[in-house]
Amino acid sequence: MRRLLVFALLATIASSPAFAEIGRIKRVMGAAVVERGTARLPATVGGTVEQGDVVATGKDGRVSITFSDNTRFSAGPGSRIALSEYRFDDTTRKGAFVTRVDRGSLAIVSGQIAHESRDAMKVRTPTSLLGVRGTRFVVNVR
Amino acid sequence: MIGPRLVAALVATAGLGGCATSDVLLLPGENGASAGAVAVIDEKSGNDSAVLAQANERARLSSGRISPRTVNPTRIPRRDRRLIEDLPPPPKHFTLNFQEDSTRLMADSAPVLVDLIAEVRRRDGVDVLVIGHTDRLGSAEDNDALSLKRAQQIREVLITQGLDPASTRAVGRGERDMLVATADGMRAAANRRVEVVVR
Repeated sequence: MRRLLVFALLATIASSPAFAEIGRIKRVMGAAVVERGTARLPATVGGTVEQGDVVATGKDGRVSITFSDNTRFSAGPGSRIALSEYRFDDTTRKGAFVTRVDRGSLAIVSGQIAHESRDAMKVRTPTSLLGVRGTRFVVNVR
Repeated sequence: MIGPRLVAALVATAGLGGCATSDVLLLPGENGASAGAVAVIDEKSGNDSAVLAQANERARLSSGRISPRTVNPTRIPRRDRRLIEDLPPPPKHFTLNFQEDSTRLMADSAPVLVDLIAEVRRRDGVDVLVIGHTDRLGSAEDNDALSLKRAQQIREVLITQGLDPASTRAVGRGERDMLVATADGMRAAANRRVEVVVR
């Protein structure tokens, strides 16, 4: 049983590179990075984001992203936003999307994941858990 | 002279500053769409402890009772408005139609292809999903192959026009996603199509 689980995990990892991209950076202003594991990659227009990435902006930094389910983000200055969980099946349009806003500000227009199933999209702040039922909103963490 | 009392007050303030306060503001939907809703979920019970369901409702997110309040849209802070302005444009959808059992475009889809190419060029950091479909004439297997060929052909056109191959993906959905529902074996011009999502 355990061996089967390990095998399943390995299979997932092996097939993940082709599906690693969950969204694209559409706009960058000022200082902004994407933290991926121990790497700190400068945020660039056309750059990709993956599940587990942390998007961080400096005092003058702004980043806008469109995800594969058509969710759109705009992060303001002094933000730290983790793309904790993202799954999207573009055939069934079902999935799960959990974002953590540690600090800063984030505007969101929700996409197909939130549209298809109730509370499939969540936003976590240091004090609260939000269930996203559509469509356009702003979260500030100071 | 800074007295011990003032120091204590400063420390207390700093302590409060370190403890994050958050709020959420629900906006009207885009282009006149309804606002939808955002729920504050109580993690112990899984129930909603508050729901914002009206446009321009704002709630402070604290550990105590959460009471959403409607704000005057003209008094939404400048920094929030700036964030909204910086959202990427909504994805744009295009549909191209094809001749029967063929990867040849219908004549009336030629201008759509021109518009598609212009939209792809206009967008910064563009990525494009190309989804091919068929009608239900012929076998499901043949239609899977034909739908993918149609999608790949449009993808190739976009690449020839300068789109980075890493920014576009083609998939074939065969006869599964009919635009117009028909019985198996039926011709349907509307179903012979490629849908393109430009993000």
